[in-house]
Amino acid sequence: MLDGLLLLLLFQFLGEALVSVTGIPVPGPVVGMILLLLALLSRQPVLQRVAPAANLLIGNLTLLFFPIGVGIILEWDRYSDNGLALLVSVVGGTLVTMSLVIVLLKRLLPEAP
Amino acid sequence: MSALVQSPLFGLLLTLVSYRAAWMLYQRSGSHPLLHPFLVAMLPVVLVLWWLDISYQRYMEQTALLQFLLGPATVALAWPLYRQLGNISPIWRPVSIYILVGAPLAASVAVLLAWLLGAPADLLGSLAPKSITTPIALEVVRFTGGYGPLAAGAVAITGIVGAMAAPLLFRLLRVHDDRIRGLALGLTAHAIGTARAFEYSERAGAFSSLALGLTGLVTALALPWLWPWVASLL
Repeated sequence: MLDGLLLLLLFQFLGEALVSVTGIPVPGPVVGMILLLLALLSRQPVLQRVAPAANLLIGNLTLLFFPIGVGIILEWDRYSDNGLALLVSVVGGTLVTMSLVIVLLKRLLPEAP
Repeated sequence: MSALVQSPLFGLLLTLVSYRAAWMLYQRSGSHPLLHPFLVAMLPVVLVLWWLDISYQRYMEQTALLQFLLGPATVALAWPLYRQLGNISPIWRPVSIYILVGAPLAASVAVLLAWLLGAPADLLGSLAPKSITTPIALEVVRFTGGYGPLAAGAVAITGIVGAMAAPLLFRLLRVHDDRIRGLALGLTAHAIGTARAFEYSERAGAFSSLALGLTGLVTALALPWLWPWVASLL
């Protein structure tokens, strides 16, 4: 677990450092994720130790962003003027997107059982 | 007592207790999307914050520890992605095309609908990453001038709607392939959709995890560059 956390923080740091040095407009943790993915593809056994910490964090993602989400109720005044636009975009947009990607997938992938 | 209530200990405890109880309810319901802990745990937390007069600002300070972990959690997404990559080697070409078309499509549909209904640029920026997993979406909104809370809410509700609508859409569009079910759920409805995909089969779940990871990656790499251009058109 400790090794996993160490690896995750190390790769996040590398990602943030790369972003800060190059100034590319990409989130640092996402660069860290790409670096870790590339490192994992090298099949170094020591990197497999990332698994317990990674699974713990991913298994509880909702808990991690939950406090930020509370703001949608506590700061609703900020959004209430556009309630309809938000509702249509989030609910309607999701239905439209999912239908379109299914149609796209049916063209791209020949049906297999 | 007032100092204790305003301390991180209280905020974290309130969050964990509420979330734990909501999680138990969600499990007992057989993971019904409408009972997702993001929605259910909101109720006790918001009521207690109002009752004890704890500001949102203070609550964010209290729970800084959880928010900090979103960074390493984003890096951690490399692990399931790495585990799933083997799945696509036979069909990497159609899957790559799918993600490269589908990820911008999901963002465009969300932004376009809200724009047509007159939403201002800061709200559009919050909605653009709504189909990607929350830790990445929260990073992306910093580049699109959006609001974290709104993005987190839009992402959660997108996942819930996607997971609930999927069985109906699969029937209407005659989908019988678990690869398609998984890829559609993962791209549109991120982790909540992936939980739904695992109910179809292990295979659907694996493809959904893959689509979740790749969609988040493509969106995070493309949106910060493209957004200034999109914003200039609005």
